[in-house]
Amino acid sequence: MSMFEYGEGKQVEVDEDGFIQDPSVWDEELAKALAKIEGVDEMTEEHWKVANYLRNYYLEYGIAPMIRKLCKETGFSLKKIYELYPSGPAKGGCKVAGLPKPTGCV
Amino acid sequence: MTQKQTKIKDLSNNKDQLHVIEPRELPKFPYPYDDWEDPPFPEVSEAKKATKDTSLDGVLNVPVPIPETEEEKEKLVAKFLEGLRKLLSVEDNWMFLKPLMLSLENCVKCNTCAEACPMYEMSGHAEIYKPLFRSDTLRRIINKYLKPGGKLTSKFTGSDIDLNWETIARLAQMSYRCTLCRRCAQTCPMGVDNGLLAREIRKVFSQELGIVASELHEDGTVKQLKVGSSTGISPTALMDIFEFMEEDITDRTGLNIKMPFDKSGADILLVHNAGEFLSWPENAEAFAIIFEAAGLSWTLSSDLVGYDSVNYGLFYEDVQLARVTLRHAEIAKKLGVKKVVMAECGHAHKAAMAIGDRVWVDEANIPRESSLVTLEQIVMNDMIKLDPERNQFPVTLHDPCNVTRSMGIIQPQRRVIKKICPQFREMTPHGVSNYCCGGGSGFAIMQSNNFPNWRNLISGRKKFDQILRAFTREEYENKVNKYVCAPCSNCKGQIRDLLTYYDAWERAQILYGGLVELIVNAMTDVPEGFIEWELH
Repeated sequence: MSMFEYGEGKQVEVDEDGFIQDPSVWDEELAKALAKIEGVDEMTEEHWKVANYLRNYYLEYGIAPMIRKLCKETGFSLKKIYELYPSGPAKGGCKVAGLPKPTGCV
Repeated sequence: MTQKQTKIKDLSNNKDQLHVIEPRELPKFPYPYDDWEDPPFPEVSEAKKATKDTSLDGVLNVPVPIPETEEEKEKLVAKFLEGLRKLLSVEDNWMFLKPLMLSLENCVKCNTCAEACPMYEMSGHAEIYKPLFRSDTLRRIINKYLKPGGKLTSKFTGSDIDLNWETIARLAQMSYRCTLCRRCAQTCPMGVDNGLLAREIRKVFSQELGIVASELHEDGTVKQLKVGSSTGISPTALMDIFEFMEEDITDRTGLNIKMPFDKSGADILLVHNAGEFLSWPENAEAFAIIFEAAGLSWTLSSDLVGYDSVNYGLFYEDVQLARVTLRHAEIAKKLGVKKVVMAECGHAHKAAMAIGDRVWVDEANIPRESSLVTLEQIVMNDMIKLDPERNQFPVTLHDPCNVTRSMGIIQPQRRVIKKICPQFREMTPHGVSNYCCGGGSGFAIMQSNNFPNWRNLISGRKKFDQILRAFTREEYENKVNKYVCAPCSNCKGQIRDLLTYYDAWERAQILYGGLVELIVNAMTDVPEGFIEWELH
């Protein structure tokens, strides 16, 4: 495990791909800092819409939502989501939203 | 390549990385990728290199620790030898002992296996990826250290080896550079199964030393047995997902289908790889549309593990393999179904239908069937109405190794596809001689460090080459949409990664999907256009 440093001397534990390990430490400041490593310089309202949906779904069901459902619920096409998060919804989106790394044949 | 002629004795050197991957030296692709250039192969970060051994080829998937002291190293070597002893004893190795022993004894070093291996060929013939290189390392260790008088005879027979931690650490990595596709085993005149040897090496590391890819173990079988699925889908999440799928079916087709769960006494229990639900829900939806239209009596299970057919134990150890397949058998027995149908997941076929045979016994001896066979019966007996004109685009078929080479299921999927796809063409070679997608043995789910680069550049290179050659220059020039049918979740994940890495949808209009999507796309009871031409 390594540490991810952000803000003024703050740090959180992340896995080897930079996903945070304890979803409860997630906040806006951390999301913005994680976004930077995933190629998102500024978190716009549209970025937050995706991140918040991912996070709320995770808190309710313990996994990331189906990509198709994410598109439907946010009203964004998959292409649009890739524009918002260049590394994709599973890697970039989930990381910024404070979810663990997706597992299994996905 | 910097070191094509790596020797087995080099494995014990404690300094250098034995092989350096140089993308420019890899075999070239045909049109329209004849001008394709790869960026340099990415290195593992210094921080990771400090704690994980990457001394084989600079690639990191299975986390092999770097012991700090000589004492620790010696301990691990002793543990490894102890594991090998168990591997060779009937009391401890009840799964594959006989084929293992035959594979250890029968090799005549003819190297016929080498050219059959896509990793060896497409790495530009790197010695470390040769099937015999890996197997002989294991053989030499066993012959020298576990056989009476071995230390003496190995010196005279020219098969000496120095057993230190470096050798073992590299052997562990070599066992994770083989997709267990067993193309080499098929070609061997002596019946030696190098794929099995690689798998058994992984088993020693997992069961004896706790060295295993986390995607297979902690986030694989352990999670599956605890939460219900290696994807993390719990029974509660499952219900939300299927509710969405029901809505999605209505949106796409106008049909109202209630997904059947836990129907005792149904004829068929259909089991999917749960990865489909998250990444390719249209696949599970298509199964439901077809089964309903054909009027089958079928059910899904919402029981823990019953809704995820995966069994990653097949790829790395026996204990978890048995636990998962036992759970599957119990669920089928409890539901009292007439048969279990394996949806489009290759290794689940092999785990439950072939290897699991020893666990699915007595009352749990419930027939298991490949969905490719079920679908063949539906399509060939005209149980649903189909219009092949709806599939008027070039289609080629990928053969999942576990379904074809391991189980001999070759024609059912072809009879279906030939009936519904007027522009079907085979890859060369195909059927039992097919090439692995490059994501076999769980590789497709290993997404960390520089391993995906290795998959795209080397293990999947032959498959991408084959895919490119399945279509004509004219079809590329006219930018015709092309479809690679891959009836296996793991293969689909790998093919998705290949198409994404090589930008093949934008550049060559190549898309991929399963078999059931093609069937529904041709169904006249469903509006046209079930297949959405978008890479995902």
